Amino acid sequence: MNTLKINYKNIYYPPGGILMWIIIFLELITFGMALVAFVHYGSENAAVFHHSRMQLNTTFGAINTVFLLTSGFFMANAVYQFKEKEIQKSSVFFKLAMLGGFFFLALKSIEYYHKIESGISLDTNMFYTFYWLLTGFHVIHVIMGVVILGWTNYGMSKKNSDTVVEDVEACAAFWHMCDLIWLLLFPMLYLIF
Amino acid sequence: MTITTACVSNLFVVSAFVVPLLMVLAAFKFLLVAFQFMELKKANSFWKVSLIVTLGLLIVVIIGLK
Repeated sequence: MNTLKINYKNIYYPPGGILMWIIIFLELITFGMALVAFVHYGSENAAVFHHSRMQLNTTFGAINTVFLLTSGFFMANAVYQFKEKEIQKSSVFFKLAMLGGFFFLALKSIEYYHKIESGISLDTNMFYTFYWLLTGFHVIHVIMGVVILGWTNYGMSKKNSDTVVEDVEACAAFWHMCDLIWLLLFPMLYLIF
Repeated sequence: MTITTACVSNLFVVSAFVVPLLMVLAAFKFLLVAFQFMELKKANSFWKVSLIVTLGLLIVVIIGLK
C-alpha cells in the first residue's frame, strides 16, 4: 500500500492503525473502570480520600501534565515532519518528545520518593492503593512509550531505513494514549476529592 | 487549560460545581489531544463517535458517583 495515500476515512485505517486504536480503547476502558471504582470507594470514604488527596502535590501533577502535553505536541510535529520526508527534523522532534517523557518520569520518581519517605505505601488506605496502582501502571506505559519512541527513532534514522509512516503513526498513537490516560488520572487523583 | 484546572479546584466559591467543571475541562483537553495530536479528525466517524461516547459515559458515571 502506498503509505502517502492512506485513506483515514476508511474504518479499517484510522491514523495509527486499527490495532493500535483497539489497544487504546481497551486501555481507556480498563483505566476507566479502575477510576470508576476509585470514585465509588471515594464516595464511601470521603474524609479519608479528602485527607489523602491533600497530601498529594498538585503542583507536581500540573507540571507533569504540562510535560506530557508538550511532549505530545512534539510527537505530533515529529509525525508531520516524517510525512514531509524531513527525517532529520522528525528525529529532533522525536528526541524532544522523549525528553518530555524523561522529565515526567523524573518528577514522578521524586513524588514517589517523597511518598515512600513519608511511609505511604499500597496498604496505607484505599485511596493510596488506587494511587499507587493507577500511577504505577501509567508509569509503566510511559516507560514503554519512551522505549518505543527511542526504537522507532533509531530505526528511521538508520541508512536504508524501512520505517514507514504507519510505524511512526502507531508509535505516536501509543505515546498520545499515555497522555490521554494521564489527562484522566490527574484531575481524579489530585483534584476532585 | 491545565493551570485553569488547578485554579478551579481551589475555588471554594464554585465548590458545588467544581467536580463537573473539572471533569468537563479534562474531557475537553482529552478530545483536543485525540482530535488534533492523534489526527482523529481525519478518521472515520465510527472512531470519533466511539471515543466521544466512551469518554462521555466515563465522565457521566464519575460525576454521578461523586
